[in-house]
Amino acid sequence: MGMSRIECIFFSEFHPTLGPKITYQVPEEYISRELFDTVQVYIITKPELQNKLITVTAMGKKLIGCPVCIEHKKYSRNALLFNLGLVCDARTKTCALEPIVKKLSGYLTTLELESGFISNEESKQKLLPIMSTLLEELNATGACTLPIDESNTINLKLIEQRRDPLIVQEYDVPVFTQCKDHFIKSQWDLTTQQILAYIDGFRHIQKISAEADVELNLVRIAVQNLLYYGVVTLVSIFQYSNVYCTTPTVQSLIDDRSIQEECLNYVTKKGQKRACLRDVFQLYCGLTPGTTVRDLCSRYSQQLQRVDERRLIQYGLMKALIRRLQKYPVKVTRDERSRPPRLYTGCHSYDEICCKTGRLRRL
Amino acid sequence: MYIHSSSFDLQGERKSMYKQSENSFFKRGEKTSPISVILVTSGSRGNKLLFRYPFQRVADCTSSLTTKQRSPYALNTTGDVLEDPDGDSREQTPLTDQQLVAGFSDIILATILATKSDMCGKKFELKIDNVRFVGHPTLLQHPHTIQVSKTDPSPKREMPTMILFSVVFALRANADPSVISCMHNLSRRIAIALQHEERRCQYLTREAKLMLAVQDEVTNMTETDGSPQSPFRQILPKCKLARDLKEAYDSLCTTGVVRLHINNWLEVSFCLPHKIHRVGGNHVPPEALERSLKAIRPYHALLLLDSEKALLAQLPLDCSPALVRLIKTCSAVKNLQQLAQDADLNLLQIFQIAAHLVYWGKAIIVYPLCENNVYMLSPHANISLYSPLAEAFGQQFPGHDLPSMLAKFSLPLSLSEFRNPLDASVQEAQLIQMVVWMLQRRLLIQLHTYVCLLVPPSEEEPGLLRDEELPLVARVGGRSLSTPSALSFGSPTSSDDMTLTSPSMDNSSAELLPGGDSPLNRRMTETLLASLTEHERQVILNIPAAQSPEDLRMFARLLHYFRGHHHLEEIMYNENMRRSQLKTLFDKFRSVLVVTNHEDPVISLFQSPLE
Repeated sequence: MGMSRIECIFFSEFHPTLGPKITYQVPEEYISRELFDTVQVYIITKPELQNKLITVTAMGKKLIGCPVCIEHKKYSRNALLFNLGLVCDARTKTCALEPIVKKLSGYLTTLELESGFISNEESKQKLLPIMSTLLEELNATGACTLPIDESNTINLKLIEQRRDPLIVQEYDVPVFTQCKDHFIKSQWDLTTQQILAYIDGFRHIQKISAEADVELNLVRIAVQNLLYYGVVTLVSIFQYSNVYCTTPTVQSLIDDRSIQEECLNYVTKKGQKRACLRDVFQLYCGLTPGTTVRDLCSRYSQQLQRVDERRLIQYGLMKALIRRLQKYPVKVTRDERSRPPRLYTGCHSYDEICCKTGRLRRL
Repeated sequence: MYIHSSSFDLQGERKSMYKQSENSFFKRGEKTSPISVILVTSGSRGNKLLFRYPFQRVADCTSSLTTKQRSPYALNTTGDVLEDPDGDSREQTPLTDQQLVAGFSDIILATILATKSDMCGKKFELKIDNVRFVGHPTLLQHPHTIQVSKTDPSPKREMPTMILFSVVFALRANADPSVISCMHNLSRRIAIALQHEERRCQYLTREAKLMLAVQDEVTNMTETDGSPQSPFRQILPKCKLARDLKEAYDSLCTTGVVRLHINNWLEVSFCLPHKIHRVGGNHVPPEALERSLKAIRPYHALLLLDSEKALLAQLPLDCSPALVRLIKTCSAVKNLQQLAQDADLNLLQIFQIAAHLVYWGKAIIVYPLCENNVYMLSPHANISLYSPLAEAFGQQFPGHDLPSMLAKFSLPLSLSEFRNPLDASVQEAQLIQMVVWMLQRRLLIQLHTYVCLLVPPSEEEPGLLRDEELPLVARVGGRSLSTPSALSFGSPTSSDDMTLTSPSMDNSSAELLPGGDSPLNRRMTETLLASLTEHERQVILNIPAAQSPEDLRMFARLLHYFRGHHHLEEIMYNENMRRSQLKTLFDKFRSVLVVTNHEDPVISLFQSPLE
């Protein structure tokens, strides 16, 4: 699934006479004798390394395993050492597979402690078909549910690793990156469900909190959660007095056909014929430092006949075709007796100050 | 007083605004600093850990003696693990970096890091829970070819032989892959130096003996006295190699520049771009840096980040004279081509040295300073009243303060507007110095004009993009303007076959004969316009300015620049034209051209990291 393709699943253990060996591997003969000799010290390990997730790269392959040791008098050598691991290509990103390996080692440990699953030669053979199924399903769908016996089932899922999301501020505006109706609302938590209707790409967090009657910090966390899953992205508040300017990315509107299509569909006024690329591009290029949106509207009124300027700005911000110029008031001169500036330090934008202090634009 | 600063994608801005001045070096460098450096060997005496740094403090050692084997790992083992059966807990571990690696005993580290000989000569990477070890195990001698001389009658003493060694860096597991490969690079470089010295004078064997002797001594003392000691602390004053490794570790954690002299003889130098190239709190990934460097052009200029004197003082004694000449002659107003002439070096050398200086964080690439340059505040500029930059500016230019200066650049300002011709020339010079100062600290970006050909759509099907109406860029084949493709990193000047001819020859389209509406010229123009669709051609020809054959010729000649990827200055340089000529042309054909201003994506890397 995606980048983490599993090439092989192996089960290795410490045989009382033969030493460390690979008992089963699916597909067969994937791990060569040579490879195993090189890495066996990381597979069947010294006691200090047990229960740790170990990933070793050798001979173009990455092996991920979690060595387990169960001590008991009943075992020959008083301990059972084994390791169920995965093998991938050395270039694969394997972070998502690590929880799976950990879970599997946990399952096998439980099975062994409950019913001697592994030490019993007969039941051990069931491992082979289990491993085959795991390999197939994890590669195909990234998830696997497999009953082992009456009381145990293996549930595994590959979870995509995402970047940590930004902190959401009160003056940020969340906007859906996909159509809202695609989501089954009942799957989200209650807070999110309550604010969903108010996320329209124009209301900022503070406003959503006020209108939906949900506490500000809860709204921030809920939106941060949506941000994490890539469902929304953040833009700045729209005002006709805002100033924007273009970024080098604006050229992608010309170069990339898919962005063109998406943009023209997005910004065209409802019920009108689709806007033409030239008009839209001219509008974006008309956004310069020193030009407010109001100025743009009066200068390019002809181009704006079929274009909704608010959605134009929204799209531009979402795709980083344009960026917003924020004002930062800085108090430079002050007499000896006045306090040092708290908000006018150059760290807080106009938007933020207005939101925080509740004052109007003209300070 | 208000500063209009640009707010880029909120991500970068947030981080730069609020974190830049407050974080200490160490906090910021967490993900790019190693946790520990370890030297292991494998030989006839088995696997040994010779040295590790940082070492455990005595306090930690006490616990290890009182409770047997398992306790140093009590921090790492089952307690943590059992609470999290799904294994998807993230960074919330309360362990500090030091504790992560301190949890591994010397013996276990020796076992896992001193690999078998078939893993030698390649990158070694091992990840255990939250720690990643990276190194480059190196063979000292082939295990099967240890010579036994039969003719030597002298009694053979059992010399313990070293088969392989490895300098391993421990990092946090979630370190950036580019950081990991940089650490591997450093490990390899140190290994090469050590291998060389070993072959020449058995340096490594001698140092290893010293280290092991101290370790044995300390172990004996501990057994008799019962008071725990760290052997590595005793090793430091006695072994140069240990001190070198400690220095490497310390440098990596702070400045990112490592300079060692192995055995006081071989120099190993290395820089971690992630520490050196930090803009707004984010590091610039090395691949992006390399891409940018490969795209610099002869009309760019090199701006040194330190003073000339300071830079020259940092160079080693045996550095290349070309480098020294370049540093002495370079200036923010000279482009690279002029620099080549002034320093009497060829352009390829200039490119390579410039790339080298940029890579090491000693210079950046800018467009040469001139009156018409338009500058604006960088979206990542730290404009806080209390930033260290503001302080430094106040010291450098007494009587002026940084926020006021920055406010002037809130909206794009050209240098000629910034200067006041009525000022004394001294003041004018100071203003230029201020601009240079701000550029060096990545506070300003330069805006260029880009032009794109977009013809109004035809009446038949307005608003629909038919397949034939693909914008020009898709149809006009790439005219590759000469690029310095011979730049490669980490290796000495390899490829030399770069032909940098005079750009106007290479890149201007046709050899246009001057004067008149000769049939030849008309033919040329037609060919050039042939890449347009019928509709586009019609519209262009209907423009009043197109009636002038010279204007039309110029337009057709420059057609391939009108894709929005070449800025005005580049066209000026390639085609040897004046700014006024181009501007007039753009004005005449404005009904089919769309003009916009933004920063040059090629060198904007140095002002804002790529997202």
